Amino acid sequence: MYKHDITGSTLINHWQRGVPVYREPVVTPTLLFFAALAALGLVLAAVRFFSPLGPFSGMNDAYAWGIWKTFNVMTLTALGSGPLAVGIAAWVFNRHKLHVVMRTALVSGFLFYATGLIALGFDVGRPWNFYSALLPWRWNAESAMLEISICMPLYCAVFLAFENLPLFLERFYYTGSERTRTFLRGIAPSLRRIYPFVIVGAYVLPLMHQSSLGGLLLLAGNKINPLWQTPSLPLLYLLAAGLCGLGFVIFLLLICSLRYSRPLDLGVLGELGNLLSCACLLFLAVRAGDLLWRGQVRAAFAFDKISVLFLIETALILIPAITLRMKTARETPRTMLKMATLACLGGMLYRFIPTSIAYIPAHRASYFPSLPEVLMAIGYIALGIVAFILAVKYFAVLPGEIKEWNYIFKAVPRRQPTSQSDAKGGTQWPASLSTR
Amino acid sequence: MLKDLTLDPLVASARVLDVLGTIDERLLRCGISRRAFVQFCSSLMIAAPFGLAITDKKTPEEVAAGLGKVIRPPVIWLAFQDCTGCTETLLRTSHPDLGDLIMNVISLEYHETLMAGSGLQAQQALDEAVKKYAGKYICVVEGSIPTRDKGVYMKLAGRPAMEVLADVGGRAAAIVAIGSCASWGGIPSADPDPTGAVGVVDLLPNQTIVNLPGCPPNPYTLLGVLLQFADSGTLPEMDGERRPKFAYDRDIHEHCPRRAHFDAGNFVKQFGDYGHREGWCLYEMGCKGPDTHAGCSTRHFNEIPDVWPIGIGAPCIGCTEKSIAFRVPMFKVVQIHTLAAPPSAYAPISAPQGVISPLATGLVGVAVGALAGAGYVASRRFSTMKDDESVPGSSMTRTPEKPDSSAGPKGPA
Amino acid sequence: MSSTTTPHQISRRQALLGIFGLGGTITGLAVNAVGSEHPEHPVAAPDAVSMLYDNTICTGCKACMPACNEANGLPPDTVLSGGIWDLPPDLNSKTKNIIKLYQEPDGPGFSYVKRQCMHCLDPACVTGCPFGSLKKADWGAVTWNSSLCIGCRYCEVACPFDVPKFQWDHWNPKIVKCEFCYDRLHNNQQPACTAVCPTGAVIFGKRTDLLAKAKDRVAAAPNKYFENRVYGEHEAGGTQVLYLSNVAFEKIGLPKLGTTSLGHYATKVTSVIYKWLSGPILAAGLLGVVIKKNWNRHEAESAEQEKKTGLQEQL
Repeated sequence: MYKHDITGSTLINHWQRGVPVYREPVVTPTLLFFAALAALGLVLAAVRFFSPLGPFSGMNDAYAWGIWKTFNVMTLTALGSGPLAVGIAAWVFNRHKLHVVMRTALVSGFLFYATGLIALGFDVGRPWNFYSALLPWRWNAESAMLEISICMPLYCAVFLAFENLPLFLERFYYTGSERTRTFLRGIAPSLRRIYPFVIVGAYVLPLMHQSSLGGLLLLAGNKINPLWQTPSLPLLYLLAAGLCGLGFVIFLLLICSLRYSRPLDLGVLGELGNLLSCACLLFLAVRAGDLLWRGQVRAAFAFDKISVLFLIETALILIPAITLRMKTARETPRTMLKMATLACLGGMLYRFIPTSIAYIPAHRASYFPSLPEVLMAIGYIALGIVAFILAVKYFAVLPGEIKEWNYIFKAVPRRQPTSQSDAKGGTQWPASLSTR
Repeated sequence: MLKDLTLDPLVASARVLDVLGTIDERLLRCGISRRAFVQFCSSLMIAAPFGLAITDKKTPEEVAAGLGKVIRPPVIWLAFQDCTGCTETLLRTSHPDLGDLIMNVISLEYHETLMAGSGLQAQQALDEAVKKYAGKYICVVEGSIPTRDKGVYMKLAGRPAMEVLADVGGRAAAIVAIGSCASWGGIPSADPDPTGAVGVVDLLPNQTIVNLPGCPPNPYTLLGVLLQFADSGTLPEMDGERRPKFAYDRDIHEHCPRRAHFDAGNFVKQFGDYGHREGWCLYEMGCKGPDTHAGCSTRHFNEIPDVWPIGIGAPCIGCTEKSIAFRVPMFKVVQIHTLAAPPSAYAPISAPQGVISPLATGLVGVAVGALAGAGYVASRRFSTMKDDESVPGSSMTRTPEKPDSSAGPKGPA
Repeated sequence: MSSTTTPHQISRRQALLGIFGLGGTITGLAVNAVGSEHPEHPVAAPDAVSMLYDNTICTGCKACMPACNEANGLPPDTVLSGGIWDLPPDLNSKTKNIIKLYQEPDGPGFSYVKRQCMHCLDPACVTGCPFGSLKKADWGAVTWNSSLCIGCRYCEVACPFDVPKFQWDHWNPKIVKCEFCYDRLHNNQQPACTAVCPTGAVIFGKRTDLLAKAKDRVAAAPNKYFENRVYGEHEAGGTQVLYLSNVAFEKIGLPKLGTTSLGHYATKVTSVIYKWLSGPILAAGLLGVVIKKNWNRHEAESAEQEKKTGLQEQL
């Protein structure tokens, strides 16, 4: 009954379009837990607004960048590169199956970026001078920091936001009045005309800033262990972003399907797994080539503490790279989840290590994040989780079957005849998606 | 002499001062050796290394030659609520002939302790001196002036001190308030201040006043001021509290001989302990040196080196400062305000750290392990079978006996 | 408009973008081959000022420390001394200049060293500062501008000598580092530290002169100075503060650095790719071509799907 179109159309097995989660109450204990963490983080952020950085965080002159910059921004936005990786695969390399998971990637990507940028906003010491970002004559064009401080907010606030707009508009279409629908129908063609250009920007910008995140570390020079410090840092950071993005999308889809009891689609997942293993292999190839070229292979296998760290990070990426070459592995959900987790962890470690553990300042010092610092970092992540949970329940994000979509829109009106019905009898978004 | 007073005032005044004679003439008449005078001048130079015109950039012989020509300044010394300590300091020199010398350098017209006369004769001497040298004498005031109850607590010949000061001080060329009492009230003004003791400045703010606080101050400070005034009619540069800068611009701490001990952290903890016997810094015993402006650390008393409070092992009590002396407890430690000079401890080089922090690595490892573990646990809920798209709890169920006909159809190859 | 093209035809606009991007990249490559803003081995300006510190002359009196504090209006760092002395453990937000002591771990040998900003010829901090708050100003002094700094602390990460310090405890935090007594230089005065040094351990002059003088000292006393060379002549591309030492430079905390400027290393590749934004424009052009083509096909297919299932295609 459900067939793949050999030419690669958008008809796929179980994942045919985004479908909201409808069998769950919106407010669950999990949501409340993460909301509490997020609230705590935001309250602390408000306190930080009025407090100097020193007493509040554990940062010092030797380790001037704490976990907000190195983890919430540099590491988590790699996980948020799903839109980049999946998008390029879908729109540039014509992997049509992947269009159905674009929304998941976009929402998670947007949330990683947004929370990361919030973290960044509370991390800078003199934010009142940030208006210089709007004055191009003040820009120091050589600075990687400038590049990311302009590119990332622009990407998140304009391009990712625009790409997430259809989600909202779809909901307005189904829940709004006739006037809303007419208005939306009117602007739809213009939006569709702009969309491809937005897509182009949405790939060019992350190509720039994800590599610039690596470029930041070039200036640290000898302070970063030679196993990580290389002129290829920008390229490697970009490839790590790609593989983390893919890995996280797989991970997220599997976890969400598990949590919300939605069937899988191994065709799509298999495609993602294939891409993930290619990305991992590409990353490892560049890494290996770089180490060979710079004569660091002996150091990599010296089995001192730093070498062991390197080997762990490499193993975390190598295992998925090899395992997912096998078709059976790609079509087994358990293996997919394990491999995706390993790949994400490996990529995150790669991006995190040179900023912290392999970063050796010129004078002896130590850094450990303070409690408010950690709570804020966790709070931002929790904020993203809360927003994601709400998004999948209110909007059509997670991929599902068309019959689920039809079920939602046919079942509920029968049970709740008093819900707002459209006079013209079209499909409507149910007033409540709570448990039946 | 009375006849002379009817002449032109300028001439008259010159004639009057002629009577006093120059210092040289006086020294000659009294048989004081030139050598002693030169020695006196070198002591004066040590007391005022800079800031005093008469000693600036000269050798002791030059100073002696210059001073020799100075006409002895007439000095009227008023004593109010005093202990006579400031007079004693003037006399407290180790060479008796120098004490004598001082008496010959200035013309002390009236001094209750030192003058021969008393009673009516003393009063007459005062009145005459004031009339004779009106506008030319220097009025030295010792002791504070009581103001409470119309100043009845100190009377001179039946007149309250306030009145005497207004009278005698009013006709002086300059007033030198010697000692803390005359400068700002001193010990009589300490809590509960029953007499309402104040310094000269509080009563005659518009007069030319030089404050020489201290309990007592160094005698050479007084002499420097008096001699310069006698020589050129000018007073040395003064600070905001009318204290001559040459003697009061630095605090004790800046020039303390025990400063090296302060810098090295050698502090006396208890009177009589090892540090005390070794002459260590008295900061922790409450020495007020850092907050006290005076010259005691370089110009000791009685012309014997180390004869000054800190030198003998007693912490400075800040006797020149109105806000400290007799107000702040003697053993209370003060703040250091001036930019501290480099101490004897040095910052280490701190070699680059070559090892990774084990705590950080450990924690990252724990985090990674926890996430991997969580992923593993979650993964166990999934099927290990190939092509099984079912998920626990979903509408799709797995039919183990017919894996090929399960709900998840295979895609094309 | 692109809607009039068929999926396989490239529009004029896309072609132009692609050509421009490609052309820009090629030109960028060409231009960079000729001259660069970050030469691998920078050359000092002829009026570059300098300080020469010779640890064999320094007596560790530390007169330069309160002189620097006074000239820059900084308070003493009395934390470690309990309020009594200026005793900073290292350069920090109250200390722009410090004397440190190296002691031989097993032996009586020791050496003092004066640390402050090295005023590199091609400073990494200047390359990294996003809005140009740190810049190489007159006579090569590296100065900081409070109205441009956003407090990102990239300069702290970039500096190979770990010099810039951040005022962590202040609500209006500044970056604190030696600025060569910039105001005094403009008043024709020497920096405070060189002016007050009683032994001449640290002296002020033009870099050319002091480098020559340092080399003369080395030549006059062979094997007195470590490796018979001047530290800062080539380190990180060369610095304007020069060191002569009779103990190993690393022992006194002067890091071992290559001769390439960090700015050169960091911008080698990116300066080519981003010249006139040619790389991004090229990428945009290429992507634009491909994506527009795929988009058009996608639109066509989704129109078909909409007819079949009655559901609008989700973007």
